[in-house]
Amino acid sequence: MIDLKEISSECPLLNDKLCQDIGGIIKKLQKPVTIKAVLDTEQDKSMEMASFLKRFCEIPAGASVNLELYSIKELSEGPEAETLAAGLKLNTQYLPVTGLYADGEFSGVSFHGIPGGKEINAFILAVYNLAGPGQELSDGTKRKIQKLKRPVNVKICVSLGCHHCSGLVTACQRIAMLNPLIEAEMIDANLYPDLVEKYQIKRVPFMIVNDRDTFTGPRSIEDLVVLFKNSR
Amino acid sequence: MHLIGTELEEFCVQAYHAGEFEEVTKESVLGHWSVFFFYPADFTFVCPTELGDLADFYEDFKAAGCEIYSVSEDTHFVHKAWADASETIRRISYPMLADPAGKLARFFGVLVEEEGQALRGTFILNPEGKIRAYEVHDMGIGRNAEELLRKVQAAQYVEEHGDQVCPAKWKPGEDTLMPSLDLVGLL
Repeated sequence: MIDLKEISSECPLLNDKLCQDIGGIIKKLQKPVTIKAVLDTEQDKSMEMASFLKRFCEIPAGASVNLELYSIKELSEGPEAETLAAGLKLNTQYLPVTGLYADGEFSGVSFHGIPGGKEINAFILAVYNLAGPGQELSDGTKRKIQKLKRPVNVKICVSLGCHHCSGLVTACQRIAMLNPLIEAEMIDANLYPDLVEKYQIKRVPFMIVNDRDTFTGPRSIEDLVVLFKNSR
Repeated sequence: MHLIGTELEEFCVQAYHAGEFEEVTKESVLGHWSVFFFYPADFTFVCPTELGDLADFYEDFKAAGCEIYSVSEDTHFVHKAWADASETIRRISYPMLADPAGKLARFFGVLVEEEGQALRGTFILNPEGKIRAYEVHDMGIGRNAEELLRKVQAAQYVEEHGDQVCPAKWKPGEDTLMPSLDLVGLL
């Protein structure tokens, strides 16, 4: 694990005013949450993310917000590497990657890249929905989500300036939190040109389900439940 | 006043199309996407460059289900004479409409009456014959067929999916965007 003392909490993205606003939300957290990230310590964006997370975790919250940072080398070399990677359950193909954990379990929610721009909303809501009171959701919809029986991996490719993206990220991640078979990964596609090229992504939000089927545009939680239910 | 959403009116003009003369009417352009591409006159310099550029991308427009109609205020006989005289024009395989009475140019608002020529107007119409996008350039300002193709594809995308998506302009190496917290109504 990376020693947090080695990470600067200087983060221009999270200024005092923003931290104050975020603090107003996360002071409502009701149970501890752990944020774990895998970084490429030689990559600027990874280190920017490390500082972002360190600064975020310093904001006073209603419950503890713990941070664990790992280097990709730790996960690929050494006797503990395999066990460590299996425990994190994160897709390390696109770094940096950050996962949210509560009650000792991976929530199924992760972020590739830095949740700047509009994606800050998805990141804050993910923490709030996981460990706080969470956004309202009808019991009927919750039951439908919990009844989904097939594993689904959904990658939501976004751009940080997109007005429609963070809503889709939040909807997918909400579903992931309520059903352990679902994983929802936000991906700032701008950081991963190979992914953009592979799927010819020209508009966002762009959703990739089970690395096979693609969809463009926002969808409601209810629509996503139907889509995931019928996924291959 | 803008023209977005305006439906094409009834018309009937002659066209020079792949070596033949034919009639093109409103009915001819319904049922598929169309581009009306006005230019000032045959036998001018910038025009063949633009029309040749369009010819280079014509297969891509066809693949997108879009027909190109170039239009000038010349007759179809002049179009043929131009094709006979110019290698660039000869390889054009989209219909070249003849609008000597100015009916189409007037409808689209690009006719310069005193000169009897059309401004460089480009109009993208959906399969119902309604204008979805357009641009009008002054005489000497050329247009880009590749950019026009992008606009056609964007118009088609919005027609199918609505406007709930953001066009992505990927800029690798760009600085992370400053967070913009807005959770009003979401908590």
